[in-house]
Amino acid sequence: MSALSPSEAAEFLYREALLLDRGEFDAWIELFTRECLFWMPAWRDDGTQTEDPDRELSLIYYRGRKNLEDRLQRIRSGFSVASEVLPRVSHLVSGVLVEEASDDRMKLSSAFVVNTHDVRVNRSHAYFGRYEHELVLQDGEWKIAGKVIRLLNDTVPTLLDVYSI
Amino acid sequence: MSKQFALSDLVDDRPDDGVFRINRAMFRDPELFDMEMKHVFEGGWLFIGLSTQAEHPHDFFTGFIGRVPIIVSRDGDGELQCFVNACPHKGVRLVQKKCGNARRHVCPYHGWTFDSSGANKNIKWKKGGCYSEAFDSENHDLAEVARFGEYRGFLFASLNPDVPSLEEHLGEASKLIDLLADKAPNGLELVPGRVTFTYAANWKMQLENCADQYHFTSTHPSYIRILEQRAKEEADEVVKSSIGASDFWTENASGVTGGTMSFDHGHVLNWGIMPPSSAIADFERAEELAEEFGEARRNWMFNMRNLTIFPNMQIAENASSQLRVIRPLAAGLTEMQTWCIAPRGESDEARRFRIRQYEDFFNPTGMATPDDTVCYEEAQLGMAEQERPWLQGHARGMTATVEGGNEYADMIDVKPARSVLADAQLCDESLFASYYRAWAERMKEVVA
Repeated sequence: MSALSPSEAAEFLYREALLLDRGEFDAWIELFTRECLFWMPAWRDDGTQTEDPDRELSLIYYRGRKNLEDRLQRIRSGFSVASEVLPRVSHLVSGVLVEEASDDRMKLSSAFVVNTHDVRVNRSHAYFGRYEHELVLQDGEWKIAGKVIRLLNDTVPTLLDVYSI
Repeated sequence: MSKQFALSDLVDDRPDDGVFRINRAMFRDPELFDMEMKHVFEGGWLFIGLSTQAEHPHDFFTGFIGRVPIIVSRDGDGELQCFVNACPHKGVRLVQKKCGNARRHVCPYHGWTFDSSGANKNIKWKKGGCYSEAFDSENHDLAEVARFGEYRGFLFASLNPDVPSLEEHLGEASKLIDLLADKAPNGLELVPGRVTFTYAANWKMQLENCADQYHFTSTHPSYIRILEQRAKEEADEVVKSSIGASDFWTENASGVTGGTMSFDHGHVLNWGIMPPSSAIADFERAEELAEEFGEARRNWMFNMRNLTIFPNMQIAENASSQLRVIRPLAAGLTEMQTWCIAPRGESDEARRFRIRQYEDFFNPTGMATPDDTVCYEEAQLGMAEQERPWLQGHARGMTATVEGGNEYADMIDVKPARSVLADAQLCDESLFASYYRAWAERMKEVVA
């Protein structure tokens, strides 16, 4: 195997986005390695982002896919009013760049807009920012070993879940 | 000023009849909201930040008192001061940044310049300005807020000079701030990373929710199930929960599990027994704290404590440690500014643990808070009902309320105005009366 071409890399990200748009969360989570990083830093008051997740706050910081599984369990539990009527989402990923590439590891950067429509209150909102993906080749398949979500409009209207970014 | 609302139409406070009720209009009326901004938020003491947010000479941070922009600045002599963050010339907001360090602040519009003590240092082209003597006799410095004070690193200000002293305003509730401050011998700090969210409902929904033990098991069952599952699995990659390690909130817990305290001027505490355990970040200092303060006081430092300093500051010590500042934007829109508040100098491991627990539970991107804020929004919709205006949500604990404290309050020498000792299913709501009595006191010019 060799690294994904730029168009294959972009397609990988589009497929990930499509799974979230369609609510196919089991397939989405399968894209991640067991030890994956899933990280959305917060913003400091000086206008920079937090960089050290062990000393500074993040909006979301997970090491381990188990955490994403917990999130999905809550979303689908039927016991979370915030997840009862799931917002509709549409991920637009663009400007995909291959930043680093070797035979078994790649780093991608991209821009995102996630349009969300909260059916419960008939309210639309767009989250936007940049993604940094780290992909690794595991048993012949490319998996997400790390996903950093740099959310630019970080004032959260009521809720933001893993499907909204 | 004419009274536009009758208090008895909004707050039905008849203790002798066992009645305390709030009218739904309190949550939805835009005219009442404007009055609240003027009289509750701009008419009395408000929490504005921590002294550690402007630690060194010329450090500053900005914020709001009600609708009025403010700047808190440490001057060259190290004195903290608080000004209206608006240039006297044309009213332009002087400083746009949330925080920083500057000896001089220059207005972006016409260049008037102020030092870190608020003094006007330059009016551009003053000599050529053909100003009248009347102008020269005016004060051109930044306007100081009427009252400004610090209690153990917590900063408060009031735009209205006619308020009790800060000491009197905090009263016995200051001893609950002591509990936080004593646990942090090197001071308290805000962990870098401010999280801001909004919800489409009245600010009093958040005010109440922090002190509302009743909602926990019915609003957060999805989270509780995850805690139960995590307890069984003991996986390394998920964070251990302090709530999961205690039982004060569970249906079957027996005996006294906690309670509430109500204070004058609207401050309240909702608390639950949470024994010191390795599921709490402060556990590394548990023995040291017991030696220094005695076991009873140490145990209180570990108890679940949701403290509200009326009307805008809440400190939640339960799943982690959070500072919340409530900023109402409209009758049906509220902004919450939230931080992880932590003792300085704790170990790297404790800090990491505290942050992970915080993100899990408190963030609007976490697994609990969205279920609260969605409930606030659903409540806001229901506040439109007018046929039966009186809510039934302030009645629990009515017959359990006693004047003064109890043996638990005595352990930390706190003398609340009223208190309730509770088993797990009592979930007192009578403490909310303290909010609305303070609200009525601040609104007395317009609501009587």
